[in-house]
Amino acid sequence: MEGFAVVDFFFMAVIAATPLLFATLGEILTQKSGSLNLGVEGMMFMGAAAGVAASYIYEATVGDATLGFVSAILAVLIGFLAGALGGLIYSVLTVTFRANQNVTGLALTIFGIGAGNLVGELLGIRAGGFTTVAEDTKRMFSSISIPWLSDIPVIGRLFFSYNFMVYLAIITAIVLMWIFNKTRVGLNLRGVGESPATADAVGINVTRYKYIAAIVGGGICGLGGVFISMADNSGTWIFNCIAGRGWIAVALVIFAAWRPSRAIIGALLFGGLSVLRLYLPIDGIPAQVYNILPFVATILVLIFTSIRQSKEHSQPKSCGINYFREER
Amino acid sequence: MKKYLAIILALVMVFALAACGGGGGSGDVTKDNIKIGVVHIGPLADQGYTYNHHIGAEKMISNLGLRSDQYIPKFDAGVDPAKVTNSINELIQEGCHIIFATSFSHQNQMIEAARENPNVVFAHATGTNAIDAGLDNYHNYFAKIHEARYLGGIAAGLRTETNVLGYVAAHPFAEVISGFTAFYLGALSVNPDVTMEVIYIDSWGDPPLEQQVATRLIELGADVIAQHSDSATPAIAAQERGAWHVGYNNDMRSAAPDASMLSPRIDWSIYMTLAVDNLLNGKKTPVDWGEGLASGAAFITELNTSIVAPGTADAIEAAKAKIISGELKIFSGHLVDNDGNNAKITGYGDPAPLIYEFTGPDSHFAESAGPSAPSFNAIIKGINIIS
Repeated sequence: MEGFAVVDFFFMAVIAATPLLFATLGEILTQKSGSLNLGVEGMMFMGAAAGVAASYIYEATVGDATLGFVSAILAVLIGFLAGALGGLIYSVLTVTFRANQNVTGLALTIFGIGAGNLVGELLGIRAGGFTTVAEDTKRMFSSISIPWLSDIPVIGRLFFSYNFMVYLAIITAIVLMWIFNKTRVGLNLRGVGESPATADAVGINVTRYKYIAAIVGGGICGLGGVFISMADNSGTWIFNCIAGRGWIAVALVIFAAWRPSRAIIGALLFGGLSVLRLYLPIDGIPAQVYNILPFVATILVLIFTSIRQSKEHSQPKSCGINYFREER
Repeated sequence: MKKYLAIILALVMVFALAACGGGGGSGDVTKDNIKIGVVHIGPLADQGYTYNHHIGAEKMISNLGLRSDQYIPKFDAGVDPAKVTNSINELIQEGCHIIFATSFSHQNQMIEAARENPNVVFAHATGTNAIDAGLDNYHNYFAKIHEARYLGGIAAGLRTETNVLGYVAAHPFAEVISGFTAFYLGALSVNPDVTMEVIYIDSWGDPPLEQQVATRLIELGADVIAQHSDSATPAIAAQERGAWHVGYNNDMRSAAPDASMLSPRIDWSIYMTLAVDNLLNGKKTPVDWGEGLASGAAFITELNTSIVAPGTADAIEAAKAKIISGELKIFSGHLVDNDGNNAKITGYGDPAPLIYEFTGPDSHFAESAGPSAPSFNAIIKGINIIS
């Protein structure tokens, strides 16, 4: 075997990182409002299945008139909405009915996995085999090629040759960063997450902020699922295709210290570590050791942040606790 | 004191009732009253192993002319011992006369149940301990899937242009090693220059990882990807990167029309039909059962004729006939490891007992002839385990 293929490794790390990044960003947004939604895995499943279903049904309906572009947009949009539906269910239960956040999140995971696999199974029965989308649609989710930029050796492959969802994930991170740090809405949202009672007292609509954060956050998690089903799996429904990536994202939120910028680095690190074994196998180090590396990193980050006691970069104070105005 | 006595008496009665309810299968077993339980490791929707075992059971029901409600599946039993035991007990409670379990990891719970319920027949797929257990009601079964994988290897060996094959492997166990070695030997039989790269995923299935591993194998120069893992993502990776593919458990042509050439597959109905029929007729079922291409227990799915190399179908047919007639023995010849030493098959234990050593050109190991579960676990020359 030849030496360490750095470019191939980086490319694969980015592809492995993108669904994690979407899910982490969605969960960061949700947690910023003080809601700890452990249903990331479920919302990713819902997004993944809904994305394939949207494309498949659209293509089956219009037949030969299928436009790959429309089909891809539909997959992303419906996948987002499916994840958002998960966020809505979560909000109704925890914000309106004040159900326990942890239990609701876990229930949402179980529900989402079941719903996603059910939709996938129904599609499979309808397609009589594996459900898959049209060639044009698949092409929309394959690597882009920007004239001359993508052709630059090394740089072109490293930065300008991913599928569009990779760039969408980075844009999402930048937009979230801007909202959190530079806008009034972001300030209010952080206020709600830190101390809903105070936010309420200054006239911020706590319920509305919590709902919108969880719904949009769920939608972004759903995009992580769409990435796996549409880009990784070329629009083919694969049973159990998320396979625990949502849980890694929950750990990543802690690693990223609730900051979108660090989520990009963290996702890349986790993605890279998850495929490192394929590129840099060391005799005598079993696969299991490679597999635990991301979590060892998370524990180290937890230890360091708790030693440093940084208030700004820790979990929003009210996370996990439902807000009762009457108990103020 | 009286109160306690009453409670104890009540408990005794409850247990006595439970004991009566359990241990079904007493009395005569007839076509009309027989109940068949199956403990499946996964859910029906898995598009792979469990689905394949389920259609085997359904085929058995129709082969024997039974009613569909006589087959009682317990899906998604997983590998957690308590859950598996529960599933088995539920099937016993429902009065099953014969219980199948599909995963190697159900072994301990199955043998335990077989000891406690001598009236119920227990048949365990992929297990290894029936041969030593000495129980009349406990059997192991498997198919000689390595024979079908050998045929898949022929398609791969004829198709490859880079002469490098890639294999997405589950665990470093004999079941997996036996399979990929047979696949490699099949390729080698038609292409003496071929080598193979193997990466373990360290689980039976992890769709994103299987895809990443397949992609990596293609980056390393492999242009035919084969797999012993649950999902179709290796086929999709091959399709995306313009490579070819040999699947497992399921016809994957609809997932990867330009990549998937064929899939080795197991027809579980052959054994299930035999075991249930024997029970109905009061005949004995072998303690270990393993059949292959001859009975159709192992087979390959329809060839994707538009992409296989010319002559593939004929080469496969010829090899199949020779395997069935016994003329072609798969694990034969002077097999050596990557250091040039005789290849050795070892058992479990420390130090691992030697089962077989390939000492010369006349050596051959009859896989699955004793225990039905595969035992070939030597890494032979030409196969490179990456990770």
